[in-house]
Amino acid sequence: MPSALRADGITVKFGGVVAVNDVSLDVEQGKILGLIGPNGAGKTTLFNALTGFVTPQAGRIYLHGKEITRLPPYMRTRVGIGRTFQTERPFEELTLLENVLVAAFLKEPKRKKAERLAMDVLEKVGLADRYDQPALDLNLARRRRLELAKALAVQPSVLFLDEMMAGLNPPALKGMIGFVRQLTDQNLTIVMVEHIMEAIIALSDHVIVMANGSVITEGLPGDVIEDPRVITAYLGED
Amino acid sequence: MKKHYIIFAGLVLMGIFYPQMFPGYLSVAITLLLYAGWATAWDILGGWAGQVSLGHASFVGLGAYFVAVGTSHYEIAPWWTVLMVLFAASLVAYLWGRLTFKLKGPYFTLSTIAIAEIFRLIAINEGWLTGGATGVFIMTLPEPFGLDLFSRQVNYYLALAFAAITVLVVMLISRSKFGYQLRAVREDEDSAMASGINPTTVKLKAFMLSGALTALGGGIYAIFLSFIEPHIIFYLLLSVQIALTAIIGGRGTIWGPCIGALLVVGSGEIFRTTFAEANMLIYGLLIMVVVIFMPRGIVGEPARYLIRRVYAKRAQS
Repeated sequence: MPSALRADGITVKFGGVVAVNDVSLDVEQGKILGLIGPNGAGKTTLFNALTGFVTPQAGRIYLHGKEITRLPPYMRTRVGIGRTFQTERPFEELTLLENVLVAAFLKEPKRKKAERLAMDVLEKVGLADRYDQPALDLNLARRRRLELAKALAVQPSVLFLDEMMAGLNPPALKGMIGFVRQLTDQNLTIVMVEHIMEAIIALSDHVIVMANGSVITEGLPGDVIEDPRVITAYLGED
Repeated sequence: MKKHYIIFAGLVLMGIFYPQMFPGYLSVAITLLLYAGWATAWDILGGWAGQVSLGHASFVGLGAYFVAVGTSHYEIAPWWTVLMVLFAASLVAYLWGRLTFKLKGPYFTLSTIAIAEIFRLIAINEGWLTGGATGVFIMTLPEPFGLDLFSRQVNYYLALAFAAITVLVVMLISRSKFGYQLRAVREDEDSAMASGINPTTVKLKAFMLSGALTALGGGIYAIFLSFIEPHIIFYLLLSVQIALTAIIGGRGTIWGPCIGALLVVGSGEIFRTTFAEANMLIYGLLIMVVVIFMPRGIVGEPARYLIRRVYAKRAQS
């Protein structure tokens, strides 16, 4: 399988603090990369560097072989990156349909077609029956699904999910895992930052573990969680 | 959406026959229509894109000065100067936006006051071009098809056309891709970027459209007044009134700015005659009541309430 997303030696500094230190990764098309690590490990910063919301001081990023390191976030969306935000950011004044419509317009400039696409995506995430509700009134699980719908409506080739599972109750979690699994069947490549191990193990083809800005280990999910270095990173030394 | 076009057609039809029904109240109606148009134009940037400007008097001034100076100094017919000012205002808005759209929220608003002040000072000090502090008189105007552009009747129809054009533009925008890009940028710029939207481009387009339309109204205003001076036409108070009209009526709604104009200009007129000197006091109270009890404006607040109630009902059943 060809590489969908590749990053070489990404380094992000905030003032004197090195948030991400020389991280490289490579995700094949249709695969899921899980990004884990304790709080403050630099996962979200790496995530933001890959999606363009933070500018890395060093390193290069390639999407399907084309360099995107210098592209602003909206240009990365146009070339095929979709993302969700850790704290969901719906357009609160707009209805669910309009929220997704904003994203759907990217590939379908005609209103009728964009609306159909938006409705299809809402159908997929199970929010179609609430399409005319203002986004302001949604509960957490539904806000998550709306966030996902917005990211899917730009019809990305690589999807970035930032802690989609956190705070979901068991049935909602199960539903979300099943849904994400389905997405890769359609050849979508996924990079996910996640704290919920259940989701990481169930979904990831490959896991990268970060601590203090650096990769401490990587590999298959089952192997990685038994790695003593990972346990130390999460629980500290005894 | 269809209902908006029906309302629009009804209002324009009423507007056409207004001069026959109330020939004595033309000046008030002209002021009202100009404010409705300006507030609607302001709202493209201030309401739909969420960038509150307190500098829109600059565009009124640009439009007014282009037309007034054009006819009185260079003998260029108003329709040419209006055409020119549409381009000039777009260009000004573009440069203005390039310079200030890095600023967010209240900082952007403050910067608009500062830049508008520069325009006022230019109008006052560059007398060779603008007539300086004494202003410009429009003594003669061409008579296209035998129409007397000085007549109140003609002024009225110009103002009506201006208001109708701005509302029509907003109606078209509201359902379009651009309209949704504006709302997305207003709500959350990061999230808009994740949807592939370049916030700066969208805001620039909104500013250019808003500025050009405001300038169009300014040109008509100059013909209506036939005398303009920088202290009034480039003044902060005018910017504030335009913004308040839209805010009171309801930002980011199709009819809000028009309702705002009806209330602000209408009540201003009534209070001036019945309360004499207390009229500014009443005016201030009115603004406070709206801002406190209807932060989304007279149109925005009930619309929102209705939508939520309708939805809540459906969710229960």
